[in-house]
Order: sequence, then structure tokens, then C-alpha cells
Amino acid sequence: MLVDPSLCTGCRTCEMACSLYHEGVCSPTLSRVRIIKYEALGRSYPAVCAQCSKPQCLSACPHEAIEYSGRSGALTIREERCTGCRSCLIACPQIGFHPEKKVAFKCDLCGGEPQCARFCPSGAIIFSAVDEFQMARLRMAADKACQIIQHPAQV
Amino acid sequence: MTFGWTGKRLRVDLSRETSSIEEIDPSYMRKWLGGRGFNSELLYQEVGPDVDPLSPDSRLIFGVGPLTGTFAPSSGRTTVTARSPLSGGFGDSNMGGHWGPELKFAGYDQLVVQGKASRPVYLWIDDDQVEIREAAAIWGRKVPQADAMIKEELGSEEIHIALIGPAGERIVSYACILNDVYRAAARCGMGAVMGSKNLKAIAVRGTGAVSIARPEEFYRICAQARDRLREDLMAQMLFDQGTWLLTMPANYEQGWFCWKNFQKGHHPQARRLSGEKHRDNFLAHREGCFACSISCGRFSRIKEGQYAGEITGGPEYETLTGIGPRIGLLEMDKVVHNNKLVNELGLDSCSCGGAIAWAMECWQRGLLTEKDTGGLVLDWGDQETITRLIEMIARREGFGDLLAEGSSRAAEILGRGAEYSISVKGHDMSQDDPRGLGFAFGIGFATGRRGGDHLQGLPCLELTGGFYPGLVEKILGTSKAEERLSPVKKPEMERYSEDLKAVGDSLTQCTFTHSWSFAVQPEDMALMLSSATGLEFAAEELLRIGSRIVHLERAYWNRLLVGRLEDKSPRRFVEEPMPDGPNQGTVFPEAELIPRYYAVRGWDPETGFPNEEVLIDLGLEKVARDLEACRAKYQDMVRSERG
Repeated sequence: MLVDPSLCTGCRTCEMACSLYHEGVCSPTLSRVRIIKYEALGRSYPAVCAQCSKPQCLSACPHEAIEYSGRSGALTIREERCTGCRSCLIACPQIGFHPEKKVAFKCDLCGGEPQCARFCPSGAIIFSAVDEFQMARLRMAADKACQIIQHPAQV
Repeated sequence: MTFGWTGKRLRVDLSRETSSIEEIDPSYMRKWLGGRGFNSELLYQEVGPDVDPLSPDSRLIFGVGPLTGTFAPSSGRTTVTARSPLSGGFGDSNMGGHWGPELKFAGYDQLVVQGKASRPVYLWIDDDQVEIREAAAIWGRKVPQADAMIKEELGSEEIHIALIGPAGERIVSYACILNDVYRAAARCGMGAVMGSKNLKAIAVRGTGAVSIARPEEFYRICAQARDRLREDLMAQMLFDQGTWLLTMPANYEQGWFCWKNFQKGHHPQARRLSGEKHRDNFLAHREGCFACSISCGRFSRIKEGQYAGEITGGPEYETLTGIGPRIGLLEMDKVVHNNKLVNELGLDSCSCGGAIAWAMECWQRGLLTEKDTGGLVLDWGDQETITRLIEMIARREGFGDLLAEGSSRAAEILGRGAEYSISVKGHDMSQDDPRGLGFAFGIGFATGRRGGDHLQGLPCLELTGGFYPGLVEKILGTSKAEERLSPVKKPEMERYSEDLKAVGDSLTQCTFTHSWSFAVQPEDMALMLSSATGLEFAAEELLRIGSRIVHLERAYWNRLLVGRLEDKSPRRFVEEPMPDGPNQGTVFPEAELIPRYYAVRGWDPETGFPNEEVLIDLGLEKVARDLEACRAKYQDMVRSERG
């Protein structure tokens, strides 16, 4: 998951897609992705789980409730093992807590097709291979340097 | 358990310093939908003809709908309703931002504020905790400062605040309410009503959820609508340029660019305010209201000149033209700066521009002199005077005190210049000229619930409908109605658009998704609503509810003895042929279209009151009874006018 805060319009469509997809209700507080807003400046920042390589949530969990799962390899919380001790919440701000189920929740990449990225209207959240994303950015810089305005196919 | 709706109304009495929660009956939800429908009904019931808009008995109502705070595209809007201090009649205004969804997450479909606080206060709604707090330190502050101070005092950035600026505190007749700093419920003077209650702000934090009856189906339907909006040309253009995209076609192709108080509909250099120019030179960020898949919102940054470094939310088209070309300005940096000024002070940019434009035209024609203005010289486009006037209006200083009444009443007080007040029912026009924009729009301007305003129906079928092959023909039976300046089927088009808009405002769903872009159709709205609430709605029923809401709002005016005589376009649109531009020579054919519109609606041609059987058919029996006495009285008024 890759984010470009400069593109984020702060609309929070991602929060709605996420909470509805995972919990069947619409609620920002149940969303795995959260938008940090600076209303007076018109800036917004999408906070998504980085699925990082040295996950603090995983090391913090004393109950082996967090594990790599599925084809996407996403770090996922197994609700039936979670005791609600909140150690992972302390370890990482990207983890949420379900007030009714009394268990922690986190981004599971929606089984390989993250809904936040799918519905982001401005392309601020992208789900893509890291290399592809970085190459696209390099290509943008190259476009500028080479003054490429049109795609070669359109010339 | 209710789905979609929360089923709760929060009522706060500022005189008694109490709050209470009222249950909303499911049959009421079915009848009025939510948002605008709930608000209009409550206003009709609780704010009668004897209640002064600025008295403690008056109500200030905030409403959200069953789709607010959900995954439905562009569903985060809020309707604010009150009797308007500007027109004296029905008033409402609709705002985007994130405040409405937050109210919903806190557990409420509606918030009603009544009474008057004994000192400046603000309201703090933290889920089910409601607190009236002192606002002495915040009173007098401009909007961004007040917003920041409240967040600091409450110790959280994760709250959303609706508030007024100094203009609302001074009860400027067209003061607005803003949320998230730059999202305004601008029209009809809702901010003045809030100021009259000594209420500076309403801060909300909601941590709850909106329950969905059939989550998977709802998800699928919303996803389809979002995918359509993503592919939609109109939505893409709105994302790219915002409503600024209107400047070029409005001026060069369609000739309704409001220049110097509607004296012209065309200016050869209007391209200086083009959407491309704004995007390339001024756009800081694109901004979306809650759950919006269009994101037409702008943040602008001024890079050079006397205002270099300023950053502000907006402007959108009505604002940029209201405090721009309407008062003789074409410089983008000045327009952006003036937008920042009116927002921070809490003024409606349309009415503010309308009042200044009125004064400038009176000056141009020698009806106002330095004796009236306290030494101010009111030349068109004089930026120094304009910025000074805006400040004077917001603080009701000197000549600004007169303009703070709105152009219509200002002309009345002054005793001259009424013909240059471009307003309907005392409410200043937005910057839209039916001599170019279109005749269905013109019907809405003359008959609308707010007075002069483009949001009665926003009948974009005649503006952008042609981009959707077969759409206009499907709805109205002929593609002839796609032509803006053709009278064919325009009353029917306006009726359809008004009913649909009332539905959108009640659900709530942004008008741009179903009337400008037409990617969301009434059938889609019915599917979204049905799967969200678990109640089955068909498109026809929704449009019928929309019609019910429109008729109730009409009856609100009728009860005040306002009808056909007041359904009058500004004389300029009817009597002065467009002097130049693409529609040179055009006038709005009011005498033909208004009677036809009445006939389509089933309204009495003599009084303009809805016929009794129409009201009864819509389930408005009590309203029909209420209007009986008013009807007779108004008939006498009409006849004495004629005789």
C-alpha cells in the first residue's frame, strides 16, 4: 500500500469502504485506514498499514493472534485468539480496537484487493508492487526532463 | 433497531439550557426521508407566521439523511433550515464538509436549536453528552481562529465544528454558517439566525456507526455508482477544474457570465477567470466533502502580487463570480482574496456581492452619492473599496450597515434603486442569468423556495443533459428540451429537477451526482436507500416524496401570503434584452412559462397556491386546511392589485 498525501482530497471514502467491507456498518472508528485532516489548510493524510517488514504489532502480541495469512501475505489478526489486551495498539497506532467485539483489528489487505485503494477517487492510495510505483515516479520525472508531453502512441 | 436513520432528534433549548432526545417515528421517516424533508416539515410545524426569524422562538435546524455518513457516493451533506431573516420566508441552505456525518455518527438525524442564550455560548456534542459552553473568548473571532480555539479548548483535533463569523454575530441578514472552516451553508441568512441565539459554534464528535440493513447489497450498489462516476465526463471535469470550469462556456458559448450586476452576460476577457488558469496557477489542493467521489472542492494559493502567500478554501463558481465580475472584478488574485475575506467573516458571497453590486449600479446611475456612502466612492471593480465594504458589512459599520440588510431591503430603506436590486422575494440572485443559462433555471429563480437562487432544482438537464445521449428524451419525451433557450418542456423539466433535488437533499446526496453529472439516477438512489434502510423504495415514490417536500415549502410561503404576485424574476431578466454576447436580444419569457409551470404543478393560476386536491393527494391534508383561509385572503390581495 502506497500513499501520496499530496493527492488526498480528505473525502474519507476509504474509511467508509473499509468499515462497510469489514464490519457491515459505516463508521470511521471501525475503519482500518484513517484520514488525518488539516481543515484550515485543506491538507489530508491517509494513514494506512504499511504491512512493514519488522512489524511491531506482531512482536507485541503475547497470544499469537497476529499472523501472515492468505495469498496477499497480509499481517492479519485472528479474532478468536485475540484477548483484547491491546498490546498491539500500544506498539503501533495503525491498529484499532472494536468497542463491541472487544478485539483489535487491523488492515488485512482485503484478501488481495484493498477496497480503500479501489475506491480512492484521486489516486492517493495505491495498491501496487513497490517497484512499479517507484518506477512510475521515476518515469514522471523523466517525462519532465525529456519534455515528453504526449504518450508516444499518440504522437 | 433502525437502519440508515438513527431515529433520534436532538433538541437544545438555549434559553432553558436544556437538551432532550426525541424519537423519530418510522412512518415519519418514510414520509419525509430525512435532511431537507425533516427540516422543512419541522419548520412548517414549529415556526409559524407569527414567529420572527430572529426571535428566541425561532428554530435553527440541522438535518442529515439516511445515507449521510455511509459509503453512498457524495452523501456527506447537511441541510440547515430556518425562517430566513433576509427574505422573511422559507430559508434553507446546504453544506458539504464533514460536520453532518459526524452528527450522524454521534447518533442524530436532526439537531434543533431553539431559545436564546443569555451570553455568547457554543454547543459541544460529544456522542450522547451535550454541553453548552462559554464562548466569550471566541466571540468576535474570524472563522479559522474560532475553529482553532475551540479545538484547543476541547483538546481534540478529531472534531468537526459548524460556526459563524463576526457577520453572524452582528446579525448581518445574509451571514452564513461554515463547517470545517471553509464549507458554507451560505444562503438565506442561516448565520444570522445562529447569531441571534448567541450561539457561536456547534462542535461535534461522533464515534458511533450507521447500521446498514443489507450491507453486501448496499456495498455492491454504491460500488457500481462510484465506478460510473469515475467514468463520467462531468464528474471528471468537476474533479479537474472544480466549478471554475463554468467560466469559459458561461461567457463565450452561453452568454450568462454575470458582469456588473447582470448588465451584461459576456465579457471579452472572462478567460482571466478560467478553470484552466485557476488549476494551473492557483490550485493548492483538491478537496472532497465526506465520501465524495467527485471532489469539486478547491484550495487556492496566491503566488504573487499584493496577496502573495495567502491560502484559502474555495472559491467555487458562484463565489468567484459574486465577489468578482458581478462587482466588476476580473483579476483572479483579488477574487481569491475576497473569497477568503467573506468566508472568514462569515458572509454569503452571493448576497454580499449582490448588495455591493446594487450599490455600485446605484452609484453608476447617480442614485447614490458620497453623502449616502459616508465618503466612499463606489466605482466598479475598485478593490480597495470592495475589501473595505466587505469588512464594513460584516461589522455593520457606516454604509455597510445598510448593505447588511441585503439589496432589496436596502433599496426600500433608501427609498430608491429597487429596480437595480437583482433579487427575488428579497433574496439576492446567485450569479445566474436565465437569459443565457436556460429557461428551466429561470422558472426556478422566479418561483423558488429560497427566492433568487439556482438551487431550487438545478435543472442541469438543459445545461449538461445533452452529454448523456437519450437521457432528456427518456425523462421528458423529447430531446428538444436539451436546448437551454427553448421553452419546450421547461416547466416539466423544472418540476422533475426540483422533486429530484428535494430527494437528494433529504437522503442526503450531493446534487452534482444526479443533476450536473447524471451518473446517479433516481432508480440508483432508490436501490441505495432500500438496501441501506431495509425498507423498499421505488424511484417513483422518491420523486413523489420530493414533490411533497417542495409543496410543503411552497405552502410555507403561501401561509405568509406570498404567491403569484411575488413569483417575479428580477425585471432586468424579463424586460432588458441581453445586450451582447452569444444570446444578444434574449429575454426570459416569464409571462409564458410561469403559468405553464403552475399548470404542470397543479397550482392555481390566479394565486399561485397549490390546489387543494394536489396537497391532499400528496398526503398534506393539514396543510390544505391551513391554506384555506390564506387562499381567500390572498385572492382578495390579487384582485385589489388588479382593480
